[in-house]
Amino acid sequence: MVVNKPTIMIYVREPDEDLLREVCAGIEEEGVLYQVQAHEGDLDSLAYEAAKESMLGSGIGIHGARLAMQMQRLPRGKNVFELDAPSFGQCRNLGANSARAVKKLPFKEISL
Amino acid sequence: MKLVAGVDIGNSTTEVCIGGIGDDGAFRFLSSASRMTTGTKGTLPNVLGVKAALEEALDEIRQPLSALDLVRLNEAAPVIGDTAMETITETIITESSMIGHNPSTPAGAGEAVGELLLLENIWKGKPGVPYIVAVANKFSYEEAAARLNQHIPELDIRGLILQADEAVLVENRLNKKMPIVDEVRHISKVPEGKLAAIEVALPGTSIRMLSNPYGIATLLGLDADETKAVTPIAKSLIGKRSAVVIRTPHGNIRENVLPAGHITFHGQQEKRVDIDAGAEQIMETLAQAGEIRDIDGETNTNVGNMLTRIKSSMADVSKEQHDKIQITDILAVDTLAPVEISGSLAGETCMEKAVGIAAMVKTQQLPMREIAARLERELGVKAVVAGVEAVMASLGAMTTPGTRLPLAMLDMGGGSTDAALLQADGSVRTTHQAGAGELVSMLIQTELGLGSRTAAEQIKKYPMGKVESLFHMRLENGAMQFFEESIDPRYYGHVVLLAPGEMLKVEEDIPMEKILEVRREAKQKVFVTNALRALREVAPDHDLRRIPNVVLVGGSAEDFEIPEMLTQALAEYRIVCGRGNIRGVCGPRNAVATGLLLSGIGEDSYGRQ
Repeated sequence: MVVNKPTIMIYVREPDEDLLREVCAGIEEEGVLYQVQAHEGDLDSLAYEAAKESMLGSGIGIHGARLAMQMQRLPRGKNVFELDAPSFGQCRNLGANSARAVKKLPFKEISL
Repeated sequence: MKLVAGVDIGNSTTEVCIGGIGDDGAFRFLSSASRMTTGTKGTLPNVLGVKAALEEALDEIRQPLSALDLVRLNEAAPVIGDTAMETITETIITESSMIGHNPSTPAGAGEAVGELLLLENIWKGKPGVPYIVAVANKFSYEEAAARLNQHIPELDIRGLILQADEAVLVENRLNKKMPIVDEVRHISKVPEGKLAAIEVALPGTSIRMLSNPYGIATLLGLDADETKAVTPIAKSLIGKRSAVVIRTPHGNIRENVLPAGHITFHGQQEKRVDIDAGAEQIMETLAQAGEIRDIDGETNTNVGNMLTRIKSSMADVSKEQHDKIQITDILAVDTLAPVEISGSLAGETCMEKAVGIAAMVKTQQLPMREIAARLERELGVKAVVAGVEAVMASLGAMTTPGTRLPLAMLDMGGGSTDAALLQADGSVRTTHQAGAGELVSMLIQTELGLGSRTAAEQIKKYPMGKVESLFHMRLENGAMQFFEESIDPRYYGHVVLLAPGEMLKVEEDIPMEKILEVRREAKQKVFVTNALRALREVAPDHDLRRIPNVVLVGGSAEDFEIPEMLTQALAEYRIVCGRGNIRGVCGPRNAVATGLLLSGIGEDSYGRQ
């Protein structure tokens, strides 16, 4: 039997390490646990599968410098947020938002 | 068959009602319509809206405009209203000495006392002295944690103040547990070398030591006089998740009572009342003064300025001389307004006492006859000004099923509350009072600290819900609503207003319960108070119990909760009160237009020409 910890899943494929670090910091500041795993597939699938696997129902996909946040039961490709080559601040907020989705708090502003 | 139209030009909508008189002289209602009023009420641009509404109503019975025989217009009430709000206390901090706010994620818990030290100067720290370290956002969380860890063995570091939103990140990398306050915007104003106390509450609770004057005294070692001086600080920190209080021997905080001044009522008796006495006292004094000619405030005080401002804005609207404008009624309401404390470090606010006032000004008669003449020219149909608005409204209200005479009509609009009592012998008493929907919007805006009046108006108008997941929301009455399609993530976790056909997000982060409480209280304070005041004015011998029926018409009667509030409040006086249902089909709308048609029955202008 596989036991999942209550974590936000981050599925990555050749991720930009700096962006990944900021996403993780965003989640950590909100006090939620996370797990990073390498996977195959396109960005939509990474985010979709991550959310599906996460016990908390919140997942992030990172492919290179492209990021997507997804929540369980939303259809594949209908990402909650999507960023392409974002700033560090945007990554931090994307991470925070994946945690806020779990905590049922309003999302932080992410565009700009 | 002759066709007659009743036309009511209101502040926001223009309503028409079409009736027909058969060859046998029997009168029948045929159709009605409602359109946005074009231009300011009582001005010539209104004609456009009237024409559009008439066309719509006539379309319904397949008749051209030229088929009309007569148009009857209302004589609009010559009153306009305005509102103003003024705080009567203010809190001032000289020399920055406190931080108290609700960062979403502070870290650690408990309280600490120490000397303030900036991270860049940490090498200057002396062993054995307790410190609270302030960290600007030029240091990343990793850098800050590394530097602090380096000094923790030798220095006694008790707590941290961060500029960035990184309290948890720093805490997780620190070798020692301590309370950490973050998101302090103006960290450069933190005075190094001063003694400070810092407190972070456990999750789900609020701070205990720094919101208590004796708690501050204990932590900072204050004497009795100093403790008295910090009481306003403690007061403004109540309910916060985290706080910092800095001991600044020369600075202080004081709560000023502003020179609020007094109001003078020029009525049958001259009466004067201090604004500080509160809304209840003001309204009581107003009642004692009898019929009011004018109201003014002490010059160079807040209330004086407030009333002057109302008069000059009214002078602009009515295009009359400033000194000819006379305020004939006011409604005062106590309220609290969140005001940013001058001299604060993180944009803290303090709830200051305030008073909101709605005032009513009598103006010249509106140029309705000009509008009638213009209509006559454009339509080629005879148009007359046929009756006073409040009287017509009570005639229209009478068509509500289940009513009998004497009957009171209550029309609560945006600017004023109008009431009329129609007696069995046909006599009518009317009154206009200050205070209605706009005052409610102002109270909601100030008490919730909203950025725009539009947002307050929407909160007033629509019920709420909180989006709890992407597929459901919790409505304000506790019920749950589920959605087939996922809700737009922008709404996630927010309180939304359920406007017809769309959801409107409340931008400010305010709990739904708080919004609900403020909304209901504002409506109670204005509408219930004013309904009683207006009805007492028109009641026989000013005795409310002698009014058997009250019919609510106009804009506020369509509100989703005001009619119920009034039904409850008036049930105490055994009055049957409810939302009108004009002609059994129109709801609370169309009362004036309907009344205009009814008032003409039997007049010469109707049939026998």
